[in-house]
Amino acid sequence: MEIAISIILGCCALGAGICMGIGAVGPGIGEGNAVSKACEAIGRQPESKGSVTSTMIMGCAIAETTGIYSLVVAILLIFVAPGMFVELLKSAL
Amino acid sequence: MKKVSSAVKKETLYIAVWVTFLSALLQSCFLITASWDISVLLGNILSGGVSVLNFFLMGLTVQKAVEKDEKDAKNTIKTSQSLRMLMIFVFAAVCVALPWFNTWSILIPLLFPRVAIMFRPLFDKKENRKDSGV
Repeated sequence: MEIAISIILGCCALGAGICMGIGAVGPGIGEGNAVSKACEAIGRQPESKGSVTSTMIMGCAIAETTGIYSLVVAILLIFVAPGMFVELLKSAL
Repeated sequence: MKKVSSAVKKETLYIAVWVTFLSALLQSCFLITASWDISVLLGNILSGGVSVLNFFLMGLTVQKAVEKDEKDAKNTIKTSQSLRMLMIFVFAAVCVALPWFNTWSILIPLLFPRVAIMFRPLFDKKENRKDSGV
């Protein structure tokens, strides 16, 4: 029983780590690329700075949502899932 | 300290209004399902504030980044994104661990800015129609 609980806790922690690790890297790279292209565009057409900034903010917010999704899943895996799975295991045995 | 640009102010205000509206909707959902208590309200207020703050900080970073050259802009955004993600993670972890806040009312409002942006094209269309006089 204790081994099973340990495996559940370990898997939840591992899942949360992988989730945050992969989920947070993607938005960072994506936002970085988008902003560097925006800088290029502003360099070519300085008068479009306002509209480019506005569009960029919305674009970055969308890109970042993936990171926040993974964060929510990681938090649930750390704080909610272990208790739930242990309860399920106890009721099954 | 640098002045906050009008684009950042406008977009943050738009997000703040939507987060407030969606928070009210979330509260009513909790009320309807009879699972409302003060922890739901506290969690929602705090989490809504953090999601708007996160958006505002992101706007400030973008404002700063577009004035730099490409490589610096990329690095600035990456650093800012990591720090903001860390801030949200610490906030969410602490609030979920504490008994005074409801877990769902902490986690759900973090996704409200995405919902607000999803509805953005509708308002843009209306503005475009007004501008073109249709």
